[in-house]
Amino acid sequence: MALAIRAEGIYKSFRSGWWGQRRKEVLKGVDLQVEQGEIFGILGPNGAGKTTLLSILSTLLFPDRGKVEILGIDGLRDGHRIREKVNISSGNANFLWSLSVRENLHFYGMLYGLTGKAREEKVKALIEFFDLKGHEHVPFDRLSTGMKQRLSLAKSMLNDPQMLFLDEPTVGLDPEVSVRIREKIRSAQRENGMTILLTTHNMREAESLCDRIAFLKEGEIVALGSAGALKRMVRIGDVVRIEFNGPISCDQIIRAEGVINCSISGDLCEIIVDEGESRLASLIAIISQGGAQIKRVSLGQTDLEDVFIEFAKGTDSDMGLRI
Amino acid sequence: MSSSNLQRALIQIWAFVFKNWIITKRNVFTLFEILFWPVVGLFSVGLLTVFLQLDADMSGFILIGVISMSVIQVCQIDVAYALLYDLWSKSIKHTFIAPVHSFQLILGSWLIGVFRSFLVFLLLSIFSVFAFGFDFLRPGIGPLVLFLLGLFLVSVLIGMSVCILVLLFGYKAEVAAWSLVSLMVLICGVYYPISILPFPLPEIAQAIPLTFFLEYFRSFYGFESGYRNLLGWGFGLSGLYLLIEMVAFKAVLHHARRTGVLIKLSE
Repeated sequence: MALAIRAEGIYKSFRSGWWGQRRKEVLKGVDLQVEQGEIFGILGPNGAGKTTLLSILSTLLFPDRGKVEILGIDGLRDGHRIREKVNISSGNANFLWSLSVRENLHFYGMLYGLTGKAREEKVKALIEFFDLKGHEHVPFDRLSTGMKQRLSLAKSMLNDPQMLFLDEPTVGLDPEVSVRIREKIRSAQRENGMTILLTTHNMREAESLCDRIAFLKEGEIVALGSAGALKRMVRIGDVVRIEFNGPISCDQIIRAEGVINCSISGDLCEIIVDEGESRLASLIAIISQGGAQIKRVSLGQTDLEDVFIEFAKGTDSDMGLRI
Repeated sequence: MSSSNLQRALIQIWAFVFKNWIITKRNVFTLFEILFWPVVGLFSVGLLTVFLQLDADMSGFILIGVISMSVIQVCQIDVAYALLYDLWSKSIKHTFIAPVHSFQLILGSWLIGVFRSFLVFLLLSIFSVFAFGFDFLRPGIGPLVLFLLGLFLVSVLIGMSVCILVLLFGYKAEVAAWSLVSLMVLICGVYYPISILPFPLPEIAQAIPLTFFLEYFRSFYGFESGYRNLLGWGFGLSGLYLLIEMVAFKAVLHHARRTGVLIKLSE
């Protein structure tokens, strides 16, 4: 599969103070490869460098050091050509205040070189797709946060980008609107087959949208993989609790696929697995075949939030792993 | 360049005309910019010339200055608005993530500035004929067109300076949009000949194209200039500064992408 993003050894620091005497290193040698058609998430606590990384990849910011290649084009030498093929949408969207939804879309459509009828049709289609119909003549500063966010997404699709950058796309939105926005992102990606790189604080968003996720902490990627793989990496996962009668051997259970840990206390067997729902049937079969009688089964699901907390704690043994 | 590429480049320039035009239509303040302040300026200075009982030529000298400054102020602010509207809306990053060249941004904004300031010029010229008997057409259409072109070029130079300062210093620089023109009033002989300026201001004035354009147009009203080839100097200096500012604009944009100014101004 061809790469949409190839970033190698990205360093970025910012200077502040009167003579720039204070220097803060935000990215410390980030390497990243994202395949075309992938939805890739960057998670991390505040100040981890997520937005800085996204800004560099979208050509809004130059790194101090390192190589950036977007869709096979050198990001440092040929940013203009990249900008024709990418777009960006940010949480807390800001556009020209006194321009209406429609006018803003026409303005940015023109910036992407859309002319006449093609632009008119594109704007109309995006207004419909992002449920902005009925609000197309409302000035930007009178839109609700959700509407602004949808306008931002609509604007980001004007040039049918091959690569879309989403910076906290649902920040500040209520859960219902967030779900709708995620659906729009997912269906737009399905329609266009574009690559999406998104930063988020929202674990559920990352888990539901992203094929792979990178955890960024203090300017470094400390883990990278699918949601399931990351759970396995930090050895936390869904907990299957089985009350039983008869013989059970943890040695046998732990060899089963997806099992992270197994412990027995009295008549309660606690098994930690990467994906509880999909592993449940095989675990029950193993236990039944061993001769034990199952009295009760319960499943406690963990989510990416727990993984995030583990990585944010930063235990050295779990750092620097990639799957 | 293929025709589709040319069409694309032109529509990208037109985008900035469209933006400024829509905002102009919506904003009452812009009506003040093109109607109220220029008219108030013309009448207050014109009435002052009446009170001081200046002769027609002397009044003309001053009215040329007043009208020129109104034209420049309106035109340069439109160029500056290319970034100022984005600055105020915190949407600057969306402009610079789009595949537009800096010359397109400047040219589009300048075109709407030329249109608006030409309206100002028409309005003030008509008022000056009826209120003060001053005829802007006395030098003829050719010199008038060259003079206006000179004013429009000076405007783009000032507007670009504002844009460059905004990219370098962010919000702190927006004041330049209104103050750079005042510097021109002081130095370029808008209300008086530059010969009365104390050292080194006359020398500085000779490095500013507006000085030569004003002297050129006033020469048709009997005010002889100490310089030769006034248009050559005016357009020559304008072309040189335009080139320098285009390079400087690209350089500060590069600098802004390095320092993160584009991101900071969008937060």
